[in-house]
Amino acid sequence: MIIEKLYLKAKTIEQAIYEANEHVDSFRYIAGGTDVLVNKFQGNEESSYLIDISGIEELKNTFLIGNSLAIGALVRLDDLKKNKHILQHFPVLLEAAHSVASPMIRKTATLGGNLLCENRCSFYNQSEWWREAVGYCLKCDGEICIATGGKKNCFSKFVSDTAVALISMNASIEVIENSSPSIVPLESIYTGDGVNPRKFNKTAIIKSIHIPINEGFKSVYKKLRQRESLEFSSLTTAVTLNKAGKIKIVLGGVDPKPVVVEGTTKDDKNELIKQAVKMARIVDNDVYSREYRKEMISVYLNRSFEELN
Amino acid sequence: MKQIKLKINGKQYDLLVNNHEMLSSVIREKAGLTGTKVGCEQGSCGACTVLVNREPVLSCITPALRFDNAEITTIEGVTKGGALHKLQEKFVEKGAIQCGFCTPGMVMTSLSLIPALNKKEGAESMIHQIKDGLSGNLCRCTGYKKIIEAVAEYALESSDLISKKDEKKSNPISGAVGVGRPYIEAEKKVKGTADYADDIQTKNALHCKFLRSIYPHAKIESIDTSEAMKLDGVHYIATGKELPVKFGVLPISQDETAIAIDKVRYIGEIVAAVAADNEEIAASACKLIKVSYKRIKEFLQIEDSLNDVGENEKIHEYGKFNNNIHKKAELRFGDQQQGLKDADVTTKMSFEFEGINHGFTEPHAATAFWDENGLTITTATQVPHYLHRALAKVMEVPLSRVRVIKPYVGGGFGGKSDPFPHEMIISHIARKTGRPVRVRLSREEVFLTNHGRHPSKMTVEMGISNDGFMQVLDADVAIDGGAYGSFGVVTSYYNGVLLQAPYKLDNFGFRTYRVYTNKPQCGAMRGHGAVNSRFAVESIIDDLAHKIKMDPCELRMKNFLDSNTLTVGHYRITSNGSRESLQKVMDQSEWKKRIGKLKTGSGLGVGCGFFISGSALPIHWNELPQSVVHLKLDFDGRVLITSGASDIGQGSDTMLAIIVSEVLGLGMDKLVVLGADTLLTPVDFGSYSSRVTFMAGNAAKDAAENLKKEIIASIVKQKDVAAEELNFSDSRVVSNDKKVDLSWMEVVDILTANRGAVSVSGKYISPKLGGDFKGAGAGLSPSYTFGACVAEVNVDTETGHVKVLNVWGAHDCGKAINPLAVEGQLEGSWHMGIGQAMSEQMKYYNGLLVNNNFLDYKIPTSLDTPDIHANIIETNDPEGPFGAKEAGEGAIHPVIPAIANAVFNAVGVRITKLPISAEDVLKQMKENKLFKEKSIA
Repeated sequence: MIIEKLYLKAKTIEQAIYEANEHVDSFRYIAGGTDVLVNKFQGNEESSYLIDISGIEELKNTFLIGNSLAIGALVRLDDLKKNKHILQHFPVLLEAAHSVASPMIRKTATLGGNLLCENRCSFYNQSEWWREAVGYCLKCDGEICIATGGKKNCFSKFVSDTAVALISMNASIEVIENSSPSIVPLESIYTGDGVNPRKFNKTAIIKSIHIPINEGFKSVYKKLRQRESLEFSSLTTAVTLNKAGKIKIVLGGVDPKPVVVEGTTKDDKNELIKQAVKMARIVDNDVYSREYRKEMISVYLNRSFEELN
Repeated sequence: MKQIKLKINGKQYDLLVNNHEMLSSVIREKAGLTGTKVGCEQGSCGACTVLVNREPVLSCITPALRFDNAEITTIEGVTKGGALHKLQEKFVEKGAIQCGFCTPGMVMTSLSLIPALNKKEGAESMIHQIKDGLSGNLCRCTGYKKIIEAVAEYALESSDLISKKDEKKSNPISGAVGVGRPYIEAEKKVKGTADYADDIQTKNALHCKFLRSIYPHAKIESIDTSEAMKLDGVHYIATGKELPVKFGVLPISQDETAIAIDKVRYIGEIVAAVAADNEEIAASACKLIKVSYKRIKEFLQIEDSLNDVGENEKIHEYGKFNNNIHKKAELRFGDQQQGLKDADVTTKMSFEFEGINHGFTEPHAATAFWDENGLTITTATQVPHYLHRALAKVMEVPLSRVRVIKPYVGGGFGGKSDPFPHEMIISHIARKTGRPVRVRLSREEVFLTNHGRHPSKMTVEMGISNDGFMQVLDADVAIDGGAYGSFGVVTSYYNGVLLQAPYKLDNFGFRTYRVYTNKPQCGAMRGHGAVNSRFAVESIIDDLAHKIKMDPCELRMKNFLDSNTLTVGHYRITSNGSRESLQKVMDQSEWKKRIGKLKTGSGLGVGCGFFISGSALPIHWNELPQSVVHLKLDFDGRVLITSGASDIGQGSDTMLAIIVSEVLGLGMDKLVVLGADTLLTPVDFGSYSSRVTFMAGNAAKDAAENLKKEIIASIVKQKDVAAEELNFSDSRVVSNDKKVDLSWMEVVDILTANRGAVSVSGKYISPKLGGDFKGAGAGLSPSYTFGACVAEVNVDTETGHVKVLNVWGAHDCGKAINPLAVEGQLEGSWHMGIGQAMSEQMKYYNGLLVNNNFLDYKIPTSLDTPDIHANIIETNDPEGPFGAKEAGEGAIHPVIPAIANAVFNAVGVRITKLPISAEDVLKQMKENKLFKEKSIA
């Protein structure tokens, strides 16, 4: 009755993907594992086969390719600052990375892993016993969303802080699937469905994250949280302006996926902000109320625009 | 299972590990290196930090198989050749170690952090980098201040920029009282060799896990354990009927059984217990137990529980009325109606407080076994004595068949001061199976066990004259006790009685209701019973000062009680450092210069407080002294100090040694403390109500004086010298004319000749105190402590976010026996108060605790903790040992209202709910014309 637990420390991408395909119903990749293993501890992650990709060296390289910087998916959040290109061109990514979790977790957690961090909700990130007591929500095979008092949609919040910063800079990801690489915009992998928040093939692996390097990005990043450390986001905002006058607003923590609003310096910023507020499907699944987080979107974005000027 | 090779601290290990086993478990259980601690199991507290290939890793969320062939350094590997690493020395020297449970993780994190520090941008920048780097390591004792100091000093001294200080710190041989020193066990803690309850290996032990209720209030119709029993490795399954004897810490609230019988009263209550070969099997077995419940109406809010339950079933059967009120306490003095009429200005406000958990970093853990001497239990407890009594009662054995041993304890703060179901259960199963049984609670279970600060609602009214004299105080309080009694009757009284000082009040009264609700029970927590009501009073005083346009400090100064006086409720006030405390924090914060002149969004606030220094009455009425200390001096010259007092990280063992050292003029190296083992140590009632320094300290002093008398008598008998001519200092006994000049060993030879080891006893008995009315005993203490805080905040006027920038605190502890330890207690108290003010709360959803982990229960990190400026005020209490009073609890009272009053000063918003919510502040700011006018002064 007890399922045998397996663990593989993969040496190559090919080996990892091969094993994944062989155990497609029971495997789970782990990179840093700081998210997956906590979910496993709480019983939300039950894969019996952990394929540890943290030792795959080719996923750790960062290099310039064309007009982009390709950051290896396994670069740890704390190591991003060691790259001079990131330091020079994308300080907002460093700021975002630094706002994730705690120092110790950032020394294990990877950039790729953070992009795939599981959505969160007060009624989901709990022990199995707890979820049984509350009566299992939609995200753990229950019938209804408890946070909304019975809706049939899951609004677990998207909490990757680095994704918010990256999307604001039009980052894309190189994905390896059955050893064929493809490059897709980062924002395209998020579905907006809280139960299955990523349309990202389970056996696929992010190889690298690409950020355009000559866009002259100016960004402002903000994160709402109660403590200055050890916190998932209650609201994350990034506003990035490029040299052509294009503006990209991205919100995290307020919807099952990143909320993206695009415009230009010619647009009325109030309209852009209004649009962002309107798009965010916030529910009461956080320590701050729905109304407050909504209100803070405007405050944070207004401040961001001020700081950009 | 897989075999891996790990080089841990330079030693090669070949270990068989489970495929999904975490590194923390391998290090602790397989390699036996228990210096690495597990505090949360979810990577949220940092206690488990180790270095893997020189990089820090949270071992509790790291699969061991990731690191086959890796080099691992644990805390045990930091020491080189038995000598402390310089950083460890700094931790010891600076007093950065209290309970010591977070220490190994702190040291490992710091070691990895220090090389990366950028020291070129000045001290302030470096301190910020240290705070940032430590912000994933939670400490509940120190407020981080001394830890940061230790790391900073080490970092500076280990760099080339600063020349290395080479002065050897030596322990002064005598004149010990008043000299700050590290705890006697600090080295052991910093090396990771101090054993906490879960570190003690027991041969052949079973592991216990619990099945817990998923309903707040339900009848248990049936429990079927048959499937669970079939599981290989399961040895025993206990259910409620086996342990029918009720217990509780107070004799008047014996309302809890070890395992629920017939019905459950909160989500999380233990319904069955499984003992198995390992935890995994026990946990699997719990899932196979089938319980059939019939839900009945639950009562979750104070209001519901105050009302008549109608046809519904009460939470507990007893009580005259058809409601869930557990206790009503009411006392009135003077004439409150008249006081209100006479007052020129009155303020009446209502307040709401969420529940607070102690958040000690060490989860409860215990091991029990039976042998020819009966039951022995080693457990993380603050009160071995009351646990001893409760175990004898529940196990139905004589008191002489129970031994409770307290190992090193990773913090308590009141949360380890009740006898607990898990202690009863493992004792029972150990008896049934004939094998030792171990248990350790998960962090979630620690939160469910709770016994924390009561959620409270209260309305308080005060009146003053136009010239600022307080005329009346009336408090109407309701506290939410959760499912069982715990210390609740005391808490009920304390919410009221502890308002009768530090101000002179002729017309004073209160009424408190404690209700049962279907939630985890509440009990005693640091500052017991008075933290919330103190907040209300200090907030109202602030409001009254505002109304009569008087400086709130000046208003308080006008009303403080004097030394050597009685309160309206017959508390005997002896030493009283209220004025000195307030003056100190006013001066240090430049209050007079700054108040009223700050720009919008910036604010200063003040609060004061007072607390008991030990409860004068024991919990179980008896005529035992409050504390007894034994000293044994044998041929080897060592003085063995045995005391039942529980050192839970607050430094009481060290305090006892210092006192004996002072009396005998004897070096600390000749003193050994054996604490809290109910077979070997004389009874002390335990570490609660801030009683240990005062009571055990006095008993130690008495014992040392008795030993001194014995020594003098033996010398006088042999040498031609008068008793009063002899002086004890520097480990020598010397007569005034120096004709007698004996080394300590010569003294010992004289004393023990033809007699052998000498044992003496000392005791402390509280004086008779208080009035002769019902309830007069509540809050009686042989002495009281006083204090004040000023807080400085910044409020973001667009988000409502409050940031505490500074806390200046002063506390009258009578006399600091060990100033380093007292500072640590004060800084820790203020840090904990900041937590309650700013971010901590127990949030429930239909009776289910939502934030039962260290990610969602928000203890302030090093980055959230402002600069704390600690001031010790000494008033030399006439009855305290060398003038000392408590320092562990009272300090928490003033800090919370000081912060809230600073928010008022900053933006004109009166805080009436804790924790302070940015959302509420923002909302009120918008509605508030005070804010717009900034007329706050």
